[in-house]
Amino acid sequence: MFQYYFLLGLRSLRRNPALTALMVLTLAVGVAASVATLTILHVMSGDPIPHKSDRLFVPLVDNGPIEGYKPGDDRPDNQVSYRDAVNFLNSKAAERATAIYGTSVAVEPARKDMTVFISRGLGVGSDFFNMFDAPFLHGQPWSPADDKAGANVVVLGRKLAEKLYGGTDPVGQRITMSGQQYQIVGVLDTWTVVPRFHRIIGSSDGAFSDEDDMFIPFAAGIRNELPRNGSTTCTSDVPPGYQAFLDSECTWIQFWFETRSASDRPALQNYLDSYAAEQRKLGRLKRNAPNVLYDVREWLDFMKVVGNDSKLSAWLAFGFLVLCLVNTIGLLLAKFSVRAAEVGIRRALGASRREIFNQFLIETTVVGLVGGVLGLVLAFGALALIAMQSKALTVVAHMDWIMLLTTFAMAVLSAVLAGLLPTWRACQVTPALQLKSQ
Amino acid sequence: MEIRPILSALLRNKTGPILVAVQVALSLGILANALHIVQVRQAVSARVSGIANEAEVFNLQVRRLKNGNHQEQLAAQHRETDTLRAVPGVTSVAITTQMPLSRSGNYTGLASDRRQLKSSVTTTTYVSPDSLIKTWGLQLVEGRDFLPGEIPEIDETTSEEFAKVAIVTRQLADKLWPGQSRYVGKTFFFGTGETARAVQVVGVIDKLQSPNAQIGERGEFSTLVPARLTGDDTSSYTLRAEPGQMDRVIKEAEAALRASSPTPVIVKTKTMNELRRDRYRADVALAWMLVTVSVLLLLITASGIVGMASLWVTQRRKQIGVRRALGARRVDILRYFVTENFMITSVGVAAGVVLALGLNQLLVSQLEMARLPAGYLIAGAAVFWALGVAAVYGPAWRAASISPATATRSA
Repeated sequence: MFQYYFLLGLRSLRRNPALTALMVLTLAVGVAASVATLTILHVMSGDPIPHKSDRLFVPLVDNGPIEGYKPGDDRPDNQVSYRDAVNFLNSKAAERATAIYGTSVAVEPARKDMTVFISRGLGVGSDFFNMFDAPFLHGQPWSPADDKAGANVVVLGRKLAEKLYGGTDPVGQRITMSGQQYQIVGVLDTWTVVPRFHRIIGSSDGAFSDEDDMFIPFAAGIRNELPRNGSTTCTSDVPPGYQAFLDSECTWIQFWFETRSASDRPALQNYLDSYAAEQRKLGRLKRNAPNVLYDVREWLDFMKVVGNDSKLSAWLAFGFLVLCLVNTIGLLLAKFSVRAAEVGIRRALGASRREIFNQFLIETTVVGLVGGVLGLVLAFGALALIAMQSKALTVVAHMDWIMLLTTFAMAVLSAVLAGLLPTWRACQVTPALQLKSQ
Repeated sequence: MEIRPILSALLRNKTGPILVAVQVALSLGILANALHIVQVRQAVSARVSGIANEAEVFNLQVRRLKNGNHQEQLAAQHRETDTLRAVPGVTSVAITTQMPLSRSGNYTGLASDRRQLKSSVTTTTYVSPDSLIKTWGLQLVEGRDFLPGEIPEIDETTSEEFAKVAIVTRQLADKLWPGQSRYVGKTFFFGTGETARAVQVVGVIDKLQSPNAQIGERGEFSTLVPARLTGDDTSSYTLRAEPGQMDRVIKEAEAALRASSPTPVIVKTKTMNELRRDRYRADVALAWMLVTVSVLLLLITASGIVGMASLWVTQRRKQIGVRRALGARRVDILRYFVTENFMITSVGVAAGVVLALGLNQLLVSQLEMARLPAGYLIAGAAVFWALGVAAVYGPAWRAASISPATATRSA
């Protein structure tokens, strides 16, 4: 019977083409709008590193001036100063740790057919690659000894490596960057982290920025005085010179700890509190504000990675879907009411209310299926349109299998939901009245 | 009039009218808020930066691979400036540490009194040895531009020297010294405490936005400071080209700089229009999305009204025929349907106003959006009344055209 009703449903699509088209279109547009915005929200709010998001921590201490400070005032910045970063690195307070700062270098290619160009990258510790699961195509991270020495070694991103060396393995070769020779120790594979949680502050597109071109040891960047590319916050005047800047309370470094297990968090918090107390004895961190740890999810929340605009879009899209559903209910009512006579005959010939209910519900489902397919096509179109808006949106506007199935389920479910009232009304037809009026 | 019979007919068969009213309410609720947000974003992205004729202005950055010492850097800056001035079609050249709307710049706390513990306002500082007022066409409302003698040459790697004079925007001056009318001659401080640097106001400009062009007054707190700085391997210039010459000027300026430099340089340019587009990309994208949703919303609501009205006309063919046979004119039938629809729409509009206010309350409290002005509700209500009448007109006209004979015969 199901098959028969299904065929009837397909056939009835043709019976009232204008009305049916309107219904399918309404459903499709509503579904497409909500799926497109939901997809973006889903990607934006995803956990970028699920298996260790509760073991990676951002430590923050408040090193703002005590003058004019009231307890409860905001921290001047959400990064750390060079002094704190170096102390954290030396502390061995956690399993792994890395400081991160953005820099840019002038790459002077060995090939004569290429001119000098600017490359953006990060100064990081050797732990960085293991902490954030960076995939290596060739080679490996540099050694902790290189970290200490601030050696001129570099890990290239895949794009830069291919630009300079084509498909060949460049590990072991030397590359000239900003007038210095660096030895290539590794090349990363394509590494898209969405959201790019490890460096949100100071990237042009925040958590949805492009991959980095290259990575050098944090200490090498400092030793070579490579320029800072990102955000720097100073609460007091800084004397001239690079060393004075390093010694200042300016904050410009992103720091990450990785603990062995999530339960080590209190220990890390203890370390941070005792570190701050010790620094206070040395005359720093006078504000005595709470020291905080953020794990990955808390950090994404705190940095407001999912913007209000994205939430607004999703809300509106859902309001729109509700409207489309109400509209579909009306259209289905119209469609079914014309068929009261048909229901009357079927009932008179012995069909139970349940049978009628099944028939009309299946017919509604057919509408939902067609609306779903069309909605999916429209959703892909909408996402492509959104992706064209900016590079950052290209990263978030793509559909995965979960969203694909959700779209479909949503379309069918909406149609069935919208069909309940009209179907129930169709069942209420009294055969006698209908037959008499014929 | 015939409101009572229409009302009792409506109350007898409530489902359809309720569905239409719900649609109108939902649409009005969403539409009023969506259009309001569009208008707010439009206003934000249409704010003027203070630069006259933005389409003629661009930014050009030169990164020198071999930077040299203080004297060599000064020489390089002069050489580059001269090279750029010599490009045909360039009307003005100035060094600038940052560009409005570029989303990357420096911000410093200011105080109007040295004893102050906390800075009273945060400003962004445009440092230039040239006249930004001339290149950008900024409007001087009080005082004067910098004099050649006021421009120090500072090596930032060794020197703590700072300019002694500054030009501020009117909004910044008003924030520092509220309620005053003249600001030239007043002194303010970069930073707070002992190390704060005293600077005297020599001029006030009408308007200049900050690199981030924040929303509200914060985006207008800009300061111009005269100095020629060295220590950075990148020099940033801003140029004004003759109208319509921009593309050619950019190409020739880049080529001229590369040709004139004895050491390799990397040159990057960005026009003001590009900066503006990038700064407001998200706002424009959201506005477009909301406009699209609003148009679809209206279309779907209209189609819903048409659909339901058509259904009622079909259902009431017989009754219409009887009424016509008993002497009702076409216009009576037409008026019946339009009035009926108007009543339903009115209920929807009333519910929609409540819904719009509720939704706005939610947006204000959860997503930091602005409060909805009453005008949007009134305009929205008018739009839906008009939409209702327009949508029902077709079906109602068909109903009115039913001939009494055929309508009653089929029964």
